[in-house]
Amino acid sequence: MAGTTLDGPFIAPSSSPVARSWRRYRAGIFFVLPALILYLLFMVYPFFRSIYFSLTSWNGVTAVKEWVGLANYRELIGDRLFWLSLQHTIIWVIVGTIAPIVIGMLLAILLWRRPKGFTLFRTFFFMPQVLSTVVIGIVWNWIYNPIFGILNEALDAVGLEDISRGWLGDPDVALYAVLVAAIWATIGFVFVILLAGLQNVSKDLLEAATIDGANVWQRFWNVTVPQLAGVLNVVIALLLIGGFSVFDVVFVMTGGGPANATEVLATYTYKEAFTQNNVGYASALAVVITVISLIASVTFIRLRERQEA
Amino acid sequence: MAVTSAAREPFASTPAASRGFNLGRLAGRGVTYVILIAFLVIFLLPFIWIWSSAFKTSQEIGRNPFALPTELRWENLVEAWTVGHFSEYMLNSAIYCAAIVAGSVALACLAGYGLSMLPLPGRDSVLVLFLLGLTVPFQSVMIPMYYLLRDLNILETYWAFILPGIAIRLPFGIFLMRGFFRGLPPELGDAARTDGANEWGVFRQVMLPLSWPGLATLIVFQFMWAWNEFAMPLIFVQRDELRPVSLGTMFFFGRFTADRGMIAAGVTISMIPVIILYLLLQRRFIEGITAGALKS
Repeated sequence: MAGTTLDGPFIAPSSSPVARSWRRYRAGIFFVLPALILYLLFMVYPFFRSIYFSLTSWNGVTAVKEWVGLANYRELIGDRLFWLSLQHTIIWVIVGTIAPIVIGMLLAILLWRRPKGFTLFRTFFFMPQVLSTVVIGIVWNWIYNPIFGILNEALDAVGLEDISRGWLGDPDVALYAVLVAAIWATIGFVFVILLAGLQNVSKDLLEAATIDGANVWQRFWNVTVPQLAGVLNVVIALLLIGGFSVFDVVFVMTGGGPANATEVLATYTYKEAFTQNNVGYASALAVVITVISLIASVTFIRLRERQEA
Repeated sequence: MAVTSAAREPFASTPAASRGFNLGRLAGRGVTYVILIAFLVIFLLPFIWIWSSAFKTSQEIGRNPFALPTELRWENLVEAWTVGHFSEYMLNSAIYCAAIVAGSVALACLAGYGLSMLPLPGRDSVLVLFLLGLTVPFQSVMIPMYYLLRDLNILETYWAFILPGIAIRLPFGIFLMRGFFRGLPPELGDAARTDGANEWGVFRQVMLPLSWPGLATLIVFQFMWAWNEFAMPLIFVQRDELRPVSLGTMFFFGRFTADRGMIAAGVTISMIPVIILYLLLQRRFIEGITAGALKS
């Protein structure tokens, strides 16, 4: 018995494995559970419910959600507006990723050596990034205005009045006009991240390349860019993910018009879901956006892993 | 600052720096400034245009967009504030922001701490579940979210933006705070534990005070998001009395399209709070963006 008393704490009923793990984990559970409950209810549950909705023909009103299998997806394949939105979205993703990176990179390189006025330039290059899309949309709506917009006034002033037009009302250019506004607002973000990335680029290597007679372009392409590869991957991935689900700026500036000329997947989904009440069909569209975005982000994670390896 | 002074001149003092080379560099510097100033104009001009228009009449705006207002007319701003409902929109945004920032920061801080410093069964899976939220677009959840809010009977109330707003910002918050807590030495907690503190005490008295820089960045970011968020209130809160500034500005734009001075005033009012916050806390914004994107 003396031995068992010594072992007492270990065989006492309160120290059953369950009680022991409860005591070990209760603090962690207490810290994580509130966030987890809210997240499960408002994010995880709706996520899976989207998939379920997409397999029904629900209109948002009836009590019964009629199961239709993959019918919504089959309908998507024959839907001209879906392909048009997808096409616009892809243009959006390509132009909206490349342009901010090229311009943001140029600005970051120019400010790399922190010339006089560095803080001033950085402050204002980044400023559009803190504004709401509504503000950006309205400001650019004004810039493009056919009657009093400054873009047409500027074109008139330099003798290019032939190309001035109602930029957002012309189906041929509306998508690009909205894109320019979005690019204007995104440059600051890309610029700031690339500027931070440049701080880790080896100056010794650049100096060595200069001595070896490399010109500016060679130094940039062969010395700077490879060292920025990791940062560039992140920026590209973030722009891709944002691009596939772009909604706000298009919705505010054109609402998808004129004549669907700026319709993207997200604005189309919104209309189907909340103005047409085709909940099932809209959910199928939402699932498509999700899948495309996930593919983009998986690619992103792969790239990051490769970079870390 | 010693580091940056070295960073200033990466090409300096190379043997190749002859006199002719210096001349080229001078020209290069000229080109640099031309480009930088051109972009400064591109980024600033729209703001200057809108801000100065806020003080003009519609006729004045039509005459010369870049002329400074002949006199400071406050009528547009006053009218936007009262007739344009901006006083209500501002109050609503303040309510939404306070609730979403408080809720998302508190929950993300707790969970970020739990997921980095405390033992938990399935900790990695929970973490991955949260981080997947960073890659999921709003469209993946918005439709069922709408019907969930309807079934909970909180559609068209403040909660319809607050609760999902907190939830959708948890992944970013947890990601940021977990990264921050992992940078703190865990031995600090061990010292307090041997002194008899429980886990809550360790968190509250040792770790939380040290996490202030991370928290401040998170607060700034969640505020900026909540102030600017558009899609969620658009879908979940359609009554004008409940609209935040972002959404209110859009409907205001539709209502007063013809009155340009008024529109400019409304847009100016709606950007004032974030612009002021940004100019005051610029470094936090920029550090936060960089940390959010680069550390993981």
